[in-house]
Amino acid sequence: MKKLVLLGLVLSFLLSFVSSAKAGDSELVGAGATFPYPLYSKMFEVYHEKYGVSVNYQSIGSGGGQRQLLSRTVDFGASDGFMNNDQLAKAPAKIVHIPMVLGADVVSYNLPGRPELRFTPDVIADIFLGRITQWDDARIKANNPGVSLPSDSIVVVHRSDGSGTTHIFTDYLCKVSHQWASRVGEGVSVSWPVGLGAKGNEGVAGLIQQTPNSIGYVELIYAAKNHMSIGVIKNKSGKFIHPSISSIAAAANIPQIPEDTRVFITDSSAPGGYPLSGFTWILVYQDQNYGGRSEERAQQLVKLLWWMAHQGQQYAASLDYVQLPQKALTKTEKIIESIHYGGKRLLAEGKY
Amino acid sequence: MVDNGVSFRIFKDNLFKWSLVLVSFLATVPLFLILFYVAKNGISSFSWTFITHLPKPPGEAGGGILNGIVGTLLLIGWSSLLSIPLGITLGLYLSEFREGFFSYWVRLCIDVLQGTPSVVIGIVAYAWIVITMGGFSLFSGGVALSLIMVPMIVKATEETLKLIPSALKEASLALGVSYSKTIFKVIIPSGLSGIVTGILLGVARVAGETAPLLFTAFGNPFVNWNPLKPVSALPILIFNYASSPFPEWHQLAWGASLFLVTIVLLLNAVSRVVIRKWKVQF
Repeated sequence: MKKLVLLGLVLSFLLSFVSSAKAGDSELVGAGATFPYPLYSKMFEVYHEKYGVSVNYQSIGSGGGQRQLLSRTVDFGASDGFMNNDQLAKAPAKIVHIPMVLGADVVSYNLPGRPELRFTPDVIADIFLGRITQWDDARIKANNPGVSLPSDSIVVVHRSDGSGTTHIFTDYLCKVSHQWASRVGEGVSVSWPVGLGAKGNEGVAGLIQQTPNSIGYVELIYAAKNHMSIGVIKNKSGKFIHPSISSIAAAANIPQIPEDTRVFITDSSAPGGYPLSGFTWILVYQDQNYGGRSEERAQQLVKLLWWMAHQGQQYAASLDYVQLPQKALTKTEKIIESIHYGGKRLLAEGKY
Repeated sequence: MVDNGVSFRIFKDNLFKWSLVLVSFLATVPLFLILFYVAKNGISSFSWTFITHLPKPPGEAGGGILNGIVGTLLLIGWSSLLSIPLGITLGLYLSEFREGFFSYWVRLCIDVLQGTPSVVIGIVAYAWIVITMGGFSLFSGGVALSLIMVPMIVKATEETLKLIPSALKEASLALGVSYSKTIFKVIIPSGLSGIVTGILLGVARVAGETAPLLFTAFGNPFVNWNPLKPVSALPILIFNYASSPFPEWHQLAWGASLFLVTIVLLLNAVSRVVIRKWKVQF
């Protein structure tokens, strides 16, 4: 019995070494944001079928992705928020941010009759500050004439874990409310003045659906897949905007994007832009010659990034993600082209 | 009067007995609820495709959990390879040399290791192996799981071997058999049922561990046999898919849960059989 088990073990390990010798270097490893995980997994499956390169992406959260890239255990990280100057200064080498796709936070709520509500930025800020506590508050009513609102207390729901979703939402609130900026601030997690915490987008979505008279923020895709009520928000140009593929793309199609793309496009100045939009980035080292990486591996990575920014974009819409608009794509291309291997350009050998 | 007192005491005894039965029954209810719920939700996704195919991207029907199944089996193989020899040796030492300074400390260390939260073991394996080797790997996952298995095997081995009468050992030594032969041919075979049970329970325990694998084995959408590359496992797969927004992936997670629960239950059942069939009576 024991000998059989042992024999089986030995055989399986021999087998594992034999097949690993064949596998070679054609596997890339990435880690990070949960938000683009469904899209990336679709892209990587197609990529594997087309080019035989397997890409292993694990959604461990934006913060985790940044940490793993810093400790150089992955080929690329992914994040919904960008690394600030302090964080970049701590990195062992220059890290570049590559925008890959766009997403958006939505304000979602659970009210009887599922009315479509309109919100102005100050109303959203005051609800999450705990200064508007009743659904039939005069300021909510003022934007929603004809909608019957219950005279019940508002139950605020927010994330309890650190998240890029929260970063986008709080960045927006800081831009539209001085009160919020001075009292709460922005970040992947903040100390919320009011409300219940839930873990992950799925946790917040679940809590809103279970709690009558609640309001919270989730990624668009979670609200859409769960058929939740989605708020319409007044943008900088004074228009009430519904989050949609075109309005989110419009928010990113602005000339004010810096060369390193490290910017939140919340409260976009684009007339038709949805104000709670954001990029999701892939993070890589600009010089790929580190830690004994082969040039072939670096080449594979750059080819993959180029493919994701171009052919890969066609899979975005069907999964409720938003393709990069032209102005952002130009920046993305430039950054991918700047990746090198010890000074040697990597993209010269042909792009997919 | 006397009669009344006696029947009241009989009634009290019965009341106590039946409340024990009721409480024991209630304690098993959650298990059956879990089994029922997992089976109800998971059974529909079970099929041949489910265990022979890789997961599909969201929005596409079908797909399976082959990567998780192979990964879990490989992780069990590696952790067993690392922990069984070490665990049995340590258990043997502790039962052979029960007193003494060194035994005391070894026993204490094993107890502490057993009480260490698995997530801490994962972080330690990450710092030791993943960072040092520059990447996530099947091997680092195996090391993390083996650290969980070792104390279980040590305890099982020690407790079993302690029960073996010393007359058995003395008889062997008196016949001129060397000490090492006595250990390998007499002591260990007599305690084999206990040792195997310990191993099986250890395997059942690590098969369901998620925390130590998140930062070691890491997960992988493809099947991987290479010990130096990341590998998936059923618990990681369940964790990832259950928290996604897609109903198809939730379904995969339910199916994978059912599969995992079934494996763990089977291992427990097998260990029961081993105890019953191989038990050496003294």
